[in-house]
Amino acid sequence: MPDPTTSSVETDGRRTLVRLLRAAYPHPRFPDGPYERTADAILAQAADSLWHRLVLTEGLATLDARAAAAGEQAAFADLDDEAALALLRGVEDAEFFVLIRGVAVVSLYDDAEVHRLLGYEGPSFEQGGYLHRGFDDLDWLPTPRIEEYDGPDQLVEVAPDDEPTTAPTQA
Amino acid sequence: MTTDHVDPDQRSDAERLPTRQDHYGASIGHDEEVVVIVGSGAGGGTLAYELTAKGIACVVLEAGPYLMPEDYENDEWASFQQMAWLDARTASGPYRVARDFPNLPAWVVKAVGGSTTHWSGATPRFRAYELKTRTYYGDIDGANILDWPITLEELAPYYDRAERAIGSTHRHGRPPLPANNNYKVFANGAEQVGYRFYATGPYGTNAEPYDGRPASIQDGFNFQGDKSTAKWSTAVREVPRALRTGRCDLRPGSQAVQITHDARGRANAVLYVDKDGSLHRQAAAVVCVAGNSIETPRLLLMSASALHPDGLANSSGQVGRNYMRHLTGSVYARFDKPVHMYRGETMAGIIADEARQDTSRGFVGGYYLETLSLGPAFLAAFIDPGEWGPGFTEVMDAYENTAGLWIVGEDLPQETNRVTLNASVKDQWGLPAADVWFQDHPNDVAMRAHGFSRADMLYEAVGALGVHHTPPYPATHNLGTCRLSERAEDGVADRWGQAHDVPGLFISDGSQMTSGAAANPTLTIVALAIRQAEYIADRLAKGAG
Repeated sequence: MPDPTTSSVETDGRRTLVRLLRAAYPHPRFPDGPYERTADAILAQAADSLWHRLVLTEGLATLDARAAAAGEQAAFADLDDEAALALLRGVEDAEFFVLIRGVAVVSLYDDAEVHRLLGYEGPSFEQGGYLHRGFDDLDWLPTPRIEEYDGPDQLVEVAPDDEPTTAPTQA
Repeated sequence: MTTDHVDPDQRSDAERLPTRQDHYGASIGHDEEVVVIVGSGAGGGTLAYELTAKGIACVVLEAGPYLMPEDYENDEWASFQQMAWLDARTASGPYRVARDFPNLPAWVVKAVGGSTTHWSGATPRFRAYELKTRTYYGDIDGANILDWPITLEELAPYYDRAERAIGSTHRHGRPPLPANNNYKVFANGAEQVGYRFYATGPYGTNAEPYDGRPASIQDGFNFQGDKSTAKWSTAVREVPRALRTGRCDLRPGSQAVQITHDARGRANAVLYVDKDGSLHRQAAAVVCVAGNSIETPRLLLMSASALHPDGLANSSGQVGRNYMRHLTGSVYARFDKPVHMYRGETMAGIIADEARQDTSRGFVGGYYLETLSLGPAFLAAFIDPGEWGPGFTEVMDAYENTAGLWIVGEDLPQETNRVTLNASVKDQWGLPAADVWFQDHPNDVAMRAHGFSRADMLYEAVGALGVHHTPPYPATHNLGTCRLSERAEDGVADRWGQAHDVPGLFISDGSQMTSGAAANPTLTIVALAIRQAEYIADRLAKGAG
């Protein structure tokens, strides 16, 4: 039985948590840094809430117990991607995993390194926007019209069959 | 009434914005009976400017702070924490937002300028049939459809003025914005599937300098406030100009908590708490409520009195009902080449071909398709809330090669879609929080499915490798909860927005909308406010209020 009065969640738990995050949010291009920072954000939130700490400690221990029970002879952190993902599918609605995802989906993708890895350039105003930095550099399609259509077709606001049967009255 | 000295110098509006204070502009006494405006967004900010420009003193009570352009953040979550309305609220009912975001039914702004601070900028007008939905759509099961008490012809001159105030592109000689990358994908797809009525606007951001504000530098972050001020908002145009008249007393950090009336039933004051929690009473000749479509009915419901036991101006029982949030959905398409959808003006791309009444499509009303982009932070949070695993990360990994659009269409008013007071959840002042109960009408479901299928065709026509459908997120367009009606039993306010039951009380925001139409609502809210200001000024001049 894990003991939430000790700091075990800060050490063993962190390793399990990093593995969990990589299995739940697999990005082959990402190094460990973003996952570690996300794990730390989750641990920081748990440090602020006794309930979250209890739930998280027990949940992470459960992952190890399930890994062992599945005959993997390993801790969760040692599972391969497929096995880790399958195990997580089995605890999708568990409170600790919902809690982890709630923080992870914000923290992992609110990370400057992740933004660079995904090809997002972040704050732009201080750099003069994208006016001279590629706002229109897409070259694999023709440059389209930007003015409103002024050709012969008319937009029919109301289809003939949808005209009211009685003349519209002044409301 | 005393007036702070304001130097009528030649700096731009943005440079002349005042520094943070407890109040800005004129000092109006609490016992002076003036026009009291609750909220400073598209409705309230416009009213403040239009009325003070006509010489009428106004007190503006704004719940949020006065953020300046330099305060805005090019960072999605930081900006969200800075300006989103995060006071206690609840979402309930069968819609998915109630499950995914149970405390965030709406994504609106709590700051001077209201939600014009984070609006994207699309400014289509309503169509004539959309103001006569009862006539055109008939009586639809489960819906509570009503014609507006005003017509498009009556509104047209005010649309002209609103477009000039906002500086809408493609209108009144304003040039179009150029095509950004996301628009190139969107417009080419549109052309391929046979759409004709697409363009980079009309859009409320300057393509060239206009009205003292600069041209767009294509910096994105439309939803985070615009640091460059190329985008119109009441925080950079109407509110500073109202303050410069010397007749506007703007009080940020002021949450209206009750509207009172005199023995004859006429609105006579607004009670509000300041940022320290102290309660004040501001006397009023006229009260205009423009707190967005959740706070406005909440304030009326909190203002129940012996004369109005079910909430102020609620003899019809319609206060808080007929809540509309627009039919929405987003589509993100992945390509084999870069798009960089986040570069440039977020929503400067509009397709109007589906914004029409043609029931052969299987639903009444219509919708627009508009370009949309989120950064990775918000995309992760909203693309499929709660989702994880390889399917989720595949979408995120394609970020650089992704194009996005938004479906925005008319949802039908339903009496049961409703803002009420949640007696078991209190805000920071101990006041009952608003609960928003919502369920899609079958017409909404049919329209959304149609929109998704058309968006898929559009993107597949230009080579999409995959498309992802994103469900509606917390509502940015909140409408209809104090609707206009010809007859007092059908709605809350008359053709001028004045409450049927309470002389001197006006509804001045999107709450008045009898139907929601397909168009983004800001332009129409501004047009209605300009029209309402004329009416109020005329009544006050005649001594009638």
